[in-house]
Order: sequence, then C-alpha cells, then structure tokens
Amino acid sequence: MLYNDFKELVMAAAKANRLEEYELYYQASEGISTEALQHDINAFSTSIQAGACFRCIHAGKIGYAATERFDADEAERIVEAAMQNAEATESAESAWIHETGDAYEEIVPVTTSEPSAAQLRQLVLATQEAAYRRDARIVDGTQTAAAFRRSTVAISNSKGLDLSHTADYSLLYCYPSVKENDELYNGFELKAGDFTELSADAVANAAVDEAVSCIGADTVPTGSYPIVFSGKMTATLLATFFSAFSAEAAQRGLSLFRGKEGEQVAAPSVSIVDDPFPQDSLLRIPFDSEGVATYRKKVVENGTLTTLLHNLTTAHKAGVSSTGNGCKENYASKVGISPYNFYLEAGGAGSKEALFENVRNGIYVTELNGLHAGADPSSGDFSLASAGFLITDGKLGKPVKNFTVSGNFYELLKQVALIGDDVEFMPIDGSSRYGAPAIVVNDVSVAGK
Amino acid sequence: MLSRKLLTEILQTAMSTGADFAEVFSERTLENQILLIDDRVDAITDRLISGVGIRILKGTRCVTGSCTSLERSDLLACARRIADALDGASGEGAAAGRTVRLTERIFGDIHPVRIVPHTAAHGAKIDLLKEANEAARGYSAGIAQVSAKLLDVDHNILIANSDGLLTEDRQIRTRMVVSAVASKNGENQSGICSPGRRMGLEMFEQIRPKDIGTEAARQATVMLDAGYIPAGQIPVAIENGFGGVIFHEACGHSLEASCVSIGQSQFCGKLGQQIANEKVTALDDGTIPNAWGSINIDDEGTPAQRKVLIENGILKTYMVDKLNGRRMGLEGNGSCRRQSYQWDPTSRMTNTFIANGPDKNEDIIASIEYGLYAKKMGGGSVNPANGSFNFAVAEGYIIRNGKICEPVRGASLIGKGSDILMNIDMVGQNLETAQGMCGASSGSIPTDVGQPLIRVSSITVGGR
Repeated sequence: MLYNDFKELVMAAAKANRLEEYELYYQASEGISTEALQHDINAFSTSIQAGACFRCIHAGKIGYAATERFDADEAERIVEAAMQNAEATESAESAWIHETGDAYEEIVPVTTSEPSAAQLRQLVLATQEAAYRRDARIVDGTQTAAAFRRSTVAISNSKGLDLSHTADYSLLYCYPSVKENDELYNGFELKAGDFTELSADAVANAAVDEAVSCIGADTVPTGSYPIVFSGKMTATLLATFFSAFSAEAAQRGLSLFRGKEGEQVAAPSVSIVDDPFPQDSLLRIPFDSEGVATYRKKVVENGTLTTLLHNLTTAHKAGVSSTGNGCKENYASKVGISPYNFYLEAGGAGSKEALFENVRNGIYVTELNGLHAGADPSSGDFSLASAGFLITDGKLGKPVKNFTVSGNFYELLKQVALIGDDVEFMPIDGSSRYGAPAIVVNDVSVAGK
Repeated sequence: MLSRKLLTEILQTAMSTGADFAEVFSERTLENQILLIDDRVDAITDRLISGVGIRILKGTRCVTGSCTSLERSDLLACARRIADALDGASGEGAAAGRTVRLTERIFGDIHPVRIVPHTAAHGAKIDLLKEANEAARGYSAGIAQVSAKLLDVDHNILIANSDGLLTEDRQIRTRMVVSAVASKNGENQSGICSPGRRMGLEMFEQIRPKDIGTEAARQATVMLDAGYIPAGQIPVAIENGFGGVIFHEACGHSLEASCVSIGQSQFCGKLGQQIANEKVTALDDGTIPNAWGSINIDDEGTPAQRKVLIENGILKTYMVDKLNGRRMGLEGNGSCRRQSYQWDPTSRMTNTFIANGPDKNEDIIASIEYGLYAKKMGGGSVNPANGSFNFAVAEGYIIRNGKICEPVRGASLIGKGSDILMNIDMVGQNLETAQGMCGASSGSIPTDVGQPLIRVSSITVGGR
C-alpha cells in the first residue's frame, strides 16, 4: 500500500475513534552504496525504507505508536495503541499538536545529480586506486565506499498542517590502512555533497596523508599541557555535550545550564550558533519534527547563554516560544530536542599554525575516542582516549597517541583561551551537524606514560 | 511471514546473474518502551519493524538489498536490482541461476519465556518502573533525578537461503535501564544500572526493580563525594560483571572475522599462538539459556555455539560468518548477527567472557600496593587494526597497601589490546556477566560481557 493511502486509513481510524488532535509523521529513505576492498568492488547495497508514527492527544495526554507496515490492520493498530499508550502516560503537559500559520523558509535544494550504480562504482574504484598510488605502505585492509541517499519527511496533522521535505546527497569516504614496522595506522576522510563535486584524488590523498602522518606515534609523559583541539575535535566535544543546551535536559536537572539564561557561561570570545539552513550546508531543514518553523539563533553570544533549545513541550513549560528544535531520533521515537548546524563561531586568533605559534609547546589533539563512555553529559566530566601531534617550539611536531585528555565541558567553555578562524564541520549525524574552529585551552590533564 | 513459494522466487531471481549463494532475511519485530522520569510516566512508544534483507554472494563479492514493503512485486524488484548489481554493467553469467528447494528446519528454543512483555498490561510494567524509581529516590536526599526505562523486544526472524535452508526464530528480550543523578553545590554525578535478559517480565522475579534503582542511586551518591584519580600508569583490579568490557574491547572485536579476514586485526594469523597471559581463558557462548546475548540460531541460520576463543592464553578460534569465512577458508560458527533487515550481517559477539581463574579475590586486592579498584565500568571502544582501546571506569577506588580506600571519579583506561591481554596477571573466581548493546558495522546488538575480578599489572588511567 502506498503511504498516501495508508495516511487516509490512519486519519479515518483517528476520526472513528473520536480523536480531535493527532498527527502522522512519515520518514522514508532510499539509497545505494558500494564499497571497494583491494582492487575490486566487494559490496553493493540498495535499500528502500519507510516508517510512520502516529501521535494523538487522548485523555489530555500524548500517545505514540509506529509501524513500517502500511496496511489496513496496521492503520487501526497504531491508532488504538497510541490511545492506550496515552492513557497510561502521566505527563500531561506534553500534549501539543502544532497549528498552521508558521512562515517556513523555502529551501532550495543544494544537490541535484543522482549517480547511477555504475558511476558510484567507478568513483569508489578510482578513489581506492588513488589511495594505493599515494603511498607505498598502503596495505590491503584499505577500504573505500560511496553512497547516495535520498530522504523524505512528511507531517500531517488534525489542525491542517501538511508539510514535507526531501533532501539528497552523495558521499565518499576512504579508510586507508598503512603498515610500518608491523604496526597498522589508519586514516579517514569523508566528503558529502553533490555527486559531481566528489573528488577521488582529494578524498584518497587526504585520508592516506592522515594515516601516514601518524606513523611512529609515541605516547606523551603524563602531565598538564596547553592543548589545541582541532576544529573537528572541538565540534566533537560540542556534539558529545550538546544536551547542556537542551531545555529538556535542563528542566530535568540533567544540564548545569538550568536557569542560567542571561548569565556568563563561557569565555567572552565564545559565541555558539544554531542555523537550520546555512547556504553552504547540505543540512537545510525548514521545519522541525513537530512542524514548527526553524530559524537561526545564537545560543551563546560573547560568553552569555542567550537561550536553551526548545520544542513545544519545554517551551510551554518555560513560558517561551519553541525554538524549532523539536526532533525525533527516528520516526518512531518521542519528540526530543536536537540542533541543526550547531557551531562555535570563528574567532580572531588566526589559522591553526598561528595557534601553534602562540602555544609554543603543547599537544594538538586531532582524535578523541570512546565518547559514548568516557564523557558524562550530566556532569560535564570527560576522560577520553586521544591522539594528535606534539606542538614543539611553535610548530607541528611528532605524532602522538595512546594518551587521555581529561576535564569538564562546563569548565572548558570558560577556559577557552584562543579561537581560530576556520570553522570545520563533522559529517551530518541524523539531522544535526556540529562545527567549530580550533581552540586553545591551557592546563589540561593528560595521562600517558 | 513470506510464503515458501515467494521466498524461492526471490532467491532464484537474486541468483539469476551468477551468484553462488543467495539469502533472504525477513523480520517482524515489536519494540516497546516506557520511560518514567520526574516521578511520572513520561512517554510510551511502540514500533513495528518489518521488512526483508536480501543478500547474494559470488566468491567474496557481496550484494545486498533491503526493503520495507512485503509486496511480491517490490521484493522481486529488489532481488532483480541486487542480481543486476553483481557484476556491474557486464551482464556476465546472466544465464546462470539454479533451482532452489527450501526444506524447513526447526532448531528449537532453549530460552523459555513465561510472560511475553508486549502482551502484558501497561500497568504491570509501570509498577516495575515505579518500584525502581522509589528505591532510587529513597536512597538519599541527594538524588535529584531518576529515569527508569523498560524496553522489550519481540524479534521474529525467518531465514531462507539457496542451500535450501528455511528456518525461523523468535527472540524475546527485556531490559530495565535506571539512571540516577545525584546533585550537590552545582555538581552532578550519575549512576546507572541496566540488567537485561533473553526472557519476559519474569526476569524481574530474579532481579528486583528496587535493587536496580538502589544500585544506580548508590553509584551516583558515592561518586558525588569522590575526588579525581591522578593521571598515570598504575596496576588496576577490575571487578566482575561489566568489567568484562575490557575483554570485549581489548580483544573480542579483534577476533571478529570481519576485521581478521581483511588483515585489519592485531590477532591476524595468530591461531595456536599465545596472545594472552596463561591465566586467561575466554569464551564466546551464544548457548546460555535466557542470557541477554544468547541466540538459538545466528542471523544466517547457523546454530549458536559455545566457542573457546582463548584457552590458557592460546588463541583457539575466531568468530566467523559465512562471507568472511570464505576469505579465511573457515565455516561460519554461529557468530553472524545484524541489528535488523536494514543492516548487512557480519561476525559479532554473543555472550563473551573471561572464565574463572586460579587466584583468590582477596589475594588480588592484597597484592596491589598502590593502584585502582575499578568496581563498575562504563562502555568503551577499540580500533581492532592496532588494538588501541579505551573504556570508562564508572566507579573507582584507590587501593593503598592492599586495602580498598577512598572513591575516585570516572576515568578512562586506555591501552593496546595485545599488551593488556598479557598483563592480565591475576584472574579471580567470581565470574559474573553484565548486559550491553554493542555497536559495529551490522548495527546495535545485545551482547553480554563478563569476567571474575582480574588484575592488570599496569594500565594508563586517564585521571586528572
């Protein structure tokens, strides 16, 4: 059964059950991907997926139920299950189905060209060969993959809201492995964008150069160091501790920014922006998972916390308007909160080379691991396995690895000493993308040898 | 579920361009989740996951496809796309294809379930969550927040392949995750307890929700008053249960055929060689009745096995799936797993643990002059190629002169798997397992980790 037919059945079932406020959320994606190992294509994959989630207000509370089967039985089941789930729920304040009337940004699609399977295979093989050419130490575990994805989100509700948004992009990544003295070193480079803009040489060379740059890495002596976090690693810390900025976490006492709006929470040079549709981003989203129009806002301005990010429920509780950050982790999940293009704004301290010059002697951190375990968003504490390079006499020095960097995110925001001028973004993760320039933080605890 | 006739058609279509093996994985899964937070039931979500994953192999080339629709035309179109993609545009071997005869096989179920969770009333489940919540709230006045989640899954799978196998399995799992936050002077510390079983709601007759709540609150409370451990390299005693995450990360992932078969493991070519201290014997056992990571059959339809991975320090076997087994000249050994039909399956762990050893637990603590006692662990990760791993201590204590002293806050332990395995120089006798969700290329799957108390002679502790 096609989704539109299914939608009609669900809406009819909702009416038959005398529901007044309800919504059907739909998410679909299709794509192809392919992968090379050694000098040949070793895997190809094609997928078509879709799911829908019904929510309704029943007995003054909200209930959810979701399905991937679009048929008459499931249309009835999800309506009845959502009503039962609402009845057993106890939080009454989360009952919101959004009205029409928002002004939505018109999103001009960034990408247009859809690659054929053959084009994707060609690109992957060209990248894999470029990786082998780049350095003689490349070994056969080296892998390259490329994919094309198209995804659609649609929201229809009982108040007449009927929105949909489709986005697509291609991506190419290379995960090379180089061997020296019986030790393996990996690199990684991923580019996403219009298929025609993906360059086999650029991706392969960057990935291999990264792997080669780590060869011979040793650990560092335990101690306290000035650290330059690369733009991507600063962005990674923002992503790991994003819930600090979530009104839901704050209202539950799980963010130390609870009640801190208007207060200085970071160094005066720190400004953090959430932008749902920057011109140069593939991630451009006009409405959130509740159908609220999205917009650009500063979350931290010159070190002052200006707002937390809200959905309809948290905004109502706080007596403010939603910031359009209602977000579902997947089509079936409850509406939570997440950002779009969420980044630390560029500062005035120049290139990363200028930061090295300023620090003179310290560590440039380009890799942080174990974020799901070694970081606690509710306390802000982190202790993370790291890798990077020494900074020696103001210049990039030897590669280093097998050490930890420990601290607290809330303290770190206040300790930011310098901010570089080049914002780097991490790959899109769900409907979020985090970015930052390189930053300098002094006196960071490091455990090594 | 799909008819034998349709399954046969799909397999034959998928093989029509010369594949030597085809497989259909069909799934119908009900997932339910109840979240209690702020002392109230905040949300109840449920979801039906339904779809088909199709896979063909030709030598070591693999083509896969997935599709949520169960319509015959959509499934055959998916099989056709896969067949067409096998050799690119060449069309080579297009005349191939062969007749498949599916013969049903029943493996049986060694994981009895008395109360299938999604058929129980919400009220019964909410009572369990409230019991956990009240115990956590009541533990101390410093507990500022408690979230308690009940998750249950009824995962029905069907596997049909061109070797003629047709089989099904029903996998029911239940888990409670309680997280408590203690708060004082603008600081938060959290504690978590999250037991799960391959069983129904009867699991809470063995594991009382109030004990789950109390344990989460206890950890948060102890850590609130703890200092930080100094950074450095010291001996560490790692307690049983989730302590087993050290083996999971430092060694387990590197023994999965997915990385071994392509040379991306620190343990490639090491079968029969000593890779761990002789006190270390480690197993991956998918056959433990009602254990969280257990399976009757894996996601290729191979029966679960009890595999001795390391015996007295000697590497005995890898965890192998069909595709990577072809690269290695080995048969699949009940290790192939996937999160759902949308993920391509590969070799993964089930219940993986270090067996009891020769040392008395009290001797292990007494042997350490200055070190860390890691009582509760968090998760971790590893790069299997070079063995660099990390995992987090959720609750630690300083050991001084052979005695457990003051608590210290979470720090990561890091190292290289091959070094750490040799440095496990004492193995105690209180083996226990704990539950986790393991994330890797075939998605997030339930796995048990476990061990008795062990001593690692030296490891880097990421303190401050």
